[in-house]
Amino acid sequence: MHIPDAFIPLPQAAVYWIIALVFIALALRWARRELSEEKIPLVAILAAGIFAIQAVNVPIPWGTSGHMMGAALAAIVLGSPFAAVFILTLVLIVQGVLFGDGGLTVMGANIINMGVIGGFVGYYSYRGLLPVFKSPYAPAFIAGWLSLFVASLACAVEMALAGTFPLELGLLSMGLYHAIIGIIEGGITAIAIYLITTARPDIMAEREVVPA
Amino acid sequence: MMDKKNFLFAGIAIALIIAAMAPFIASSNPDGLESAFFGIFGAKDLRGSNLDEEMASTAEEEVTAITGNEYSFASPFPDYSIEGLAKFGEAAAVIIGTLVVVGIAFGLSRVVARKS
Repeated sequence: MHIPDAFIPLPQAAVYWIIALVFIALALRWARRELSEEKIPLVAILAAGIFAIQAVNVPIPWGTSGHMMGAALAAIVLGSPFAAVFILTLVLIVQGVLFGDGGLTVMGANIINMGVIGGFVGYYSYRGLLPVFKSPYAPAFIAGWLSLFVASLACAVEMALAGTFPLELGLLSMGLYHAIIGIIEGGITAIAIYLITTARPDIMAEREVVPA
Repeated sequence: MMDKKNFLFAGIAIALIIAAMAPFIASSNPDGLESAFFGIFGAKDLRGSNLDEEMASTAEEEVTAITGNEYSFASPFPDYSIEGLAKFGEAAAVIIGTLVVVGIAFGLSRVVARKS
């Protein structure tokens, strides 16, 4: 759901950039306070893996495709929604500047949707569901699905404000496609958490609530 | 449990393998946002799979007229492609991107992270 430049008028794009910069500043504060030297390799792996997996568009019905976003995964593994903002911002900058994937003027909106909304919805739905399931995998799947779905609805609202999509049809189309793409998001989120907890049970955030 | 170094190398290796395979396995269908856009601008049915190429390019002109955002930027590897190289160029582009992301992630984390 990388928004291209033409989809949002410049004044609105500027507002999204300002909001995004506030969250980027908070993400840098998170990194300064919470990111220990030990966790740096994990940040690098997550950033690399999320960048690579975002290049894999999986076909879904209706002549459409979608790829994983990775914000829920980053937030869950590193134990903070700001970790998702930190990592997704890096990924989006490289995608936009080197590959023209996602516009530059509208990058603030993309950071809000995929980093901020993806990260916050993913993290807090995971934390909320963990006590219900007592295993990390079902909550990770649902958190992944929900993070993508809600981010896509936010994107539809931005498109409506931009005058690009009518609100109802935008919500319906974005919701329909991303409800399916969310299955990919949820599945890979759960699998990646399994792999990381198996390889390094010590490194996962909140390990007391994540049985290895 | 994997030691630190192996964990890092295994993680980066998995990312690079995904990067190298991406252009060969990825679907070229429009993504969810593009599909919604083409549907709303009449180039595609919401649940149809046929894209009307002519209507699709008209749609792009129409949306630029609506928003007035004509900004465009010539990225070095547009759409993950390297000029003159087909799929292998795309694989190289995604691998380069992955390595750049690793470099920035390490560099930035080192600069801002607290010392333990």
